Amino acid sequence: MELTTIEDAFERAIKKQKLSASKTKELIDGMLLAVEQAMKEIQAIPSEGASSSPNSVLMELKSKLTEMAPMNQLEASQKDLAISLGKYGKLLEKQFNTDLSHAYRNVDWDTHTVNHIIAGHFYRQGMFEIGDCFVNEANEVDATSKLRSQYVEMYQILAETRSRNLEPALAWAIKHREHLLKNGSNLELKLHTMQFVEILYKGGRNDALAYAKAYLGPFANNYKTEIQKLMACLLWAGRLDQSPYADLVSQSRWDDLANELVRQFCNLLGHSFSSPLDMVVRAGVQALPTILKMASVMAATNQDWQTMKQLPMPVDLGSEFQFHSIFVCPVLWEPASEENPPMFMPCGHVLCKQAVLKLSKSSTRLFKCPYCPADTTVAECKQLHF
Amino acid sequence: MEVSMGLPPDGGSIISNSSVSAAVPAGPTTPSTRLIQIAESLRLEHQFLRVPFEHLKKTIRGNHRSVEKEVSVVLSGVADAADRSEGMSKEDAVTHLTSLVSRLQGLKRKLEEGNRTENLQAQRCRARLNHLDGVDAGNMSDWSNTRLKRILVDYMLRMSYYDTAAKMAEISNMQDLVDIDAFLDAKRVIDSLHNKEVAPALAWCIDNRARLKKSKSKFEFQLRLQEFIELVRAENNLQAITYARKYLAPWGATHMKELQRVMATLAFKSSTECVNYKVLFEPKQWDYLVEQFKHEFCKLYGMTLEPLLNIYLQAGLSALKTPFSYEEGCPIEDPLSQDVFRELAAPLPFSKQHHSKLVCHITKELMDTENPPLVLPNGYVYSTKALEEMAKSNDGKVTCPRTGAVFNYTQLVKAFIS
Repeated sequence: MELTTIEDAFERAIKKQKLSASKTKELIDGMLLAVEQAMKEIQAIPSEGASSSPNSVLMELKSKLTEMAPMNQLEASQKDLAISLGKYGKLLEKQFNTDLSHAYRNVDWDTHTVNHIIAGHFYRQGMFEIGDCFVNEANEVDATSKLRSQYVEMYQILAETRSRNLEPALAWAIKHREHLLKNGSNLELKLHTMQFVEILYKGGRNDALAYAKAYLGPFANNYKTEIQKLMACLLWAGRLDQSPYADLVSQSRWDDLANELVRQFCNLLGHSFSSPLDMVVRAGVQALPTILKMASVMAATNQDWQTMKQLPMPVDLGSEFQFHSIFVCPVLWEPASEENPPMFMPCGHVLCKQAVLKLSKSSTRLFKCPYCPADTTVAECKQLHF
Repeated sequence: MEVSMGLPPDGGSIISNSSVSAAVPAGPTTPSTRLIQIAESLRLEHQFLRVPFEHLKKTIRGNHRSVEKEVSVVLSGVADAADRSEGMSKEDAVTHLTSLVSRLQGLKRKLEEGNRTENLQAQRCRARLNHLDGVDAGNMSDWSNTRLKRILVDYMLRMSYYDTAAKMAEISNMQDLVDIDAFLDAKRVIDSLHNKEVAPALAWCIDNRARLKKSKSKFEFQLRLQEFIELVRAENNLQAITYARKYLAPWGATHMKELQRVMATLAFKSSTECVNYKVLFEPKQWDYLVEQFKHEFCKLYGMTLEPLLNIYLQAGLSALKTPFSYEEGCPIEDPLSQDVFRELAAPLPFSKQHHSKLVCHITKELMDTENPPLVLPNGYVYSTKALEEMAKSNDGKVTCPRTGAVFNYTQLVKAFIS
C-alpha cells in the first residue's frame, strides 16, 4: 500500500478546500463592498430635488450583483472540491479493506463476558482509573471487584519493589512458597539476592553477611554457583558498581525482578503474563487479512461462512501465539490426537499411528519409511509425547 | 550451612524452572515478512481514515449550503429592492441595504467559524494518515498498544460508555485518533429515542437526507410509523389519519405492506391481543429504532456495523482455537485456557493446521531445524536447547520433567519432523 499516494490525494483535496474557502470569502467581500458602496451613493443623493430616488443606484447594484453571478461561482468551486474529495474517497476504498464485517460471524456474545475481559485487561495493566470508570459505566462493579482487589495488591507490591522496599514482595513470596516451588520459580531467592546486594551496595558488609547467613543459607544446596558469586561480592562492599559483579546492581536486574514478580503473581491467579485481551487482538490483527480473503472466496463460491466448523485454510500466526505442540502426520495430513498419537520410527522419522498401521497392513508386515530407505515394524515404533 | 528448605521434586526442575521464567520466544520472523505483516495490518484501518473524512465532508457540505442560502437571500433582497425602488424613499433604501450588509457580515463570521471547523477536521484526517505512516518495525509494540486502545475506545463508544471513552482518550492523549465527536452527535439521537422522542432522529434524517436516500434507507419511514403508533396509542385517531396522509403516504409506493399493517392499528387500538398488531405497541419497538439508528449511523460514516473489538476478537479466537485449547493441561499462556475466552470462542470455527508446529514443553520455544526435537527413551520429546542446558549442569544427565525419569544425554535421539 502506498501511503504517500493517499497522503498526496488528501493534500490535493485540502488545497481545493482552501481555494474554495478563499474564493467564497472573496465573493462575499465583493458583494459586501458593492452593497456598502451603493449605500454610500444613496446617502450622497441630495434629499431635495428631482433625482432624489434611490432607484438608479439600486438598479445598478442589482445588475452588478447579477454580473458577479455568485451562485454560479459558488457552485463551480464546490464542484471542483467535490471531485478532489471524491478521488480521495475512492482511493481509500481501493487501498483498504473497506468492510471488516465480512469476516464476522453473527453470534450473540454475552456483553457481560466481553466487559469482564475488558475490565480484567484494565486492572491487569494497572489502569485502575479507567477500569473503575468502565465498570461503573457498564454496571459490572460487583462482577469485577475481586479481580480488582487482587491486582491492586499486585501493583502495591510492585510499587514498593520499584522503590526498593522488598518487604511486601518477600512476604508475598514466602506466603506462596509452595506455589512458587511448584512453578519452579526462584523468586524468593531473587528477592533475597537483591536485598543482600542492596545492603552490600550501601556498604554494610557485616549486615550483608548476617543477612546472607539468615536468608541465603537455605538456598545453598540448589544454587551453589549463585551463592558463591554473592559471597565474592562481599569483597567489593560499597563499590559493587566497579566490581566484576556490577550487573547485580544494574537497573535491568530490578526490571527482571519486577517482571518475575508479575509473572508469578498472575500465574497464581491463573492468568498469563501478558494480557489475554491484548494477545487475542494481536492474533486477530495477524489473522484478519487471511480470514477476510477466505470469507470473500467463500462468499463467491456460495459456501457458508456462518456455520462451518473449521477455517478452510490455515492462518499463520507468529511463534508467540504457539502454545501447543501440533503434530500433523505427513502421510495422512491430519493432526495427531490421543487416539491417533505420533509414532517415532527407529530411523528418526515420525508418522501418526494410523499411518503406521496402514503401511504395515495392520502390523502384519515390515514396512518402509516413506522418507528414507529404512524398513521397520510396528513393534519397533515408539509413541511420542510432545 | 543448614539446608532447611526442601529440595524441589527433582533436580532437573531447577533448570526447567529458570528457563521457563526466562523464556521469551523470539520468533524466527524475518524482517521482510514483518514488513508485509505491518502493511497488511494497515489495510485493516479503513474506518480509522474514513470516519474523520466523512465528518469533514459533512461539514464542508453544511457550510456550503448555508453560504448558498444566505447569498441567495441577499441577491433576492437586492432584486426585490430594485424592483420596488420607484417609489422608495432614500431612508427606506438605506435601511434595507443596511440590513443586507449586516446579513453579509453575519455570513462572513459564520464562514470563518465554519472554516475553522473544516481546518480542525482536516487536521484530524492528516493526524491519522501520519499515525499510519509512522509505524515501523521499531515502534511496533507502542503502536500496537495504541491500536488496542483505539479499538477499546471504539467499543466504549458503540456501547454508549461515553465517559470511559473520553477518559481513555484524554489519559492516552489520543483525541485525534478516536471518533468521540461523531458519536456524541449519535448520542443525542439515541438518548432522545430512549426517551421516546422522535424529533432529533428526524432532524438527523433531514440533515443526511441525500445520503440516506442513496442507500435506500427506510429509517425515516420507521420513525414516522412509530409517531403514528404513538398517536393511535393516545387515541388521537383523527390526528393520526392527518399524520398518515402527510408523512406516511409518500412511502406507499415502496413500503405499502408495512403502511397497511400500521394503518390497521386504527381498528385494533393499543389494547389489542392480536399478536400481529400487539407487537407494534410494545416498548421494545423503541429499542429496535435505536438499533436501526446505530446501523444507519455506522453505514453513513463508513464504520463496521459491529464494534471493531468483536471483529478482532473473533478473528483472533478462530485463529487460536485448537482442540488442545480445551484440554485439561492447556497452558495459561493460551488465552483459551480461560473460561471467558472459551465461552466467546464456542460458536467460532476451529483453526486449521497444515504443518506440524512443536513447542518445547520446557522452554515453550518452537522446535525447528535450529532447535530440533530430541526423543528421550521414554518417548517424551523436548528441545535440544533445553536438554543440552540441563545436561551441562547435571553431569550429562537429563531428567524428564513430566515423568521424573533420568537418562544420559547420549541416549537421546533426534526426531525428524517434516
